[in-house]
Amino acid sequence: MSLKTEKDKLIATFFEKHPALVDKWAKSAPIIINTTVPWSPVAGNPAEGPVALVTTAGVHLKSQTPFDMVDSEGDSSFRVIPSSSSAKDLTITHNYYNHGDADADVNVVFPIERLNELCGEGTVGHVAPRHFSFMGHIEGGHLAKLLEQTAPTVAAELKKDGVRAVFLTPA
Amino acid sequence: MGLIQRAIEEAGIPTLSISLNRTITEKVKPPRAVLVGYPLGHPMGRPFDKNTQTALLKESLTLLGDIRVPGTLVDVSDRYRF
Repeated sequence: MSLKTEKDKLIATFFEKHPALVDKWAKSAPIIINTTVPWSPVAGNPAEGPVALVTTAGVHLKSQTPFDMVDSEGDSSFRVIPSSSSAKDLTITHNYYNHGDADADVNVVFPIERLNELCGEGTVGHVAPRHFSFMGHIEGGHLAKLLEQTAPTVAAELKKDGVRAVFLTPA
Repeated sequence: MGLIQRAIEEAGIPTLSISLNRTITEKVKPPRAVLVGYPLGHPMGRPFDKNTQTALLKESLTLLGDIRVPGTLVDVSDRYRF
């Protein structure tokens, strides 16, 4: 394990155990402060779907290229996760939070099985064909790329799939 | 994550996210969010706690349809605690 990986994982475990420090960090961190809120009105029951999941927890198929853990500014790319994927097809690459529990049960960060179950029982009408995953540690030049390229691309792909509701989970 | 959520909403799709920290969410201002009382790395709670994960997802989808004010953050952290 590289020194950077060890340091990133150590910080992640520390923040998980001390939520008050997360808040202290959040108050002074260079987080984008927005003044307006985008809004798309809901037509009908959003659970009728298609419903898609989007996560920034670094989830991806084991067969896909992992997210970049070397670049200190993160990785603004995304992975497409077919909704037919099973939990055992998935893994997590993300050194900036402790994903021990999510490794044991991916639904902790990406509730793919819970959504499929709600569809099976009829609470959700349709699950979208594809879900999308990012790695949420994105800074510097990658932040611009996320805002200008990858996030709008994912939005356009969701539109192509006819998605009518998106549920997002952070790490 | 809120920035990605905003991009999707701007494209015309209604969105709702889980928030693990009020301060971050109030800065980023996603259209709809649900604040839970879980630690980082656990937006849906504990591993294998299927009942809670299902209840939170169901409640979130209901709120997605019910919230009418842009930028609403619903605090459910008293009911969804670790």
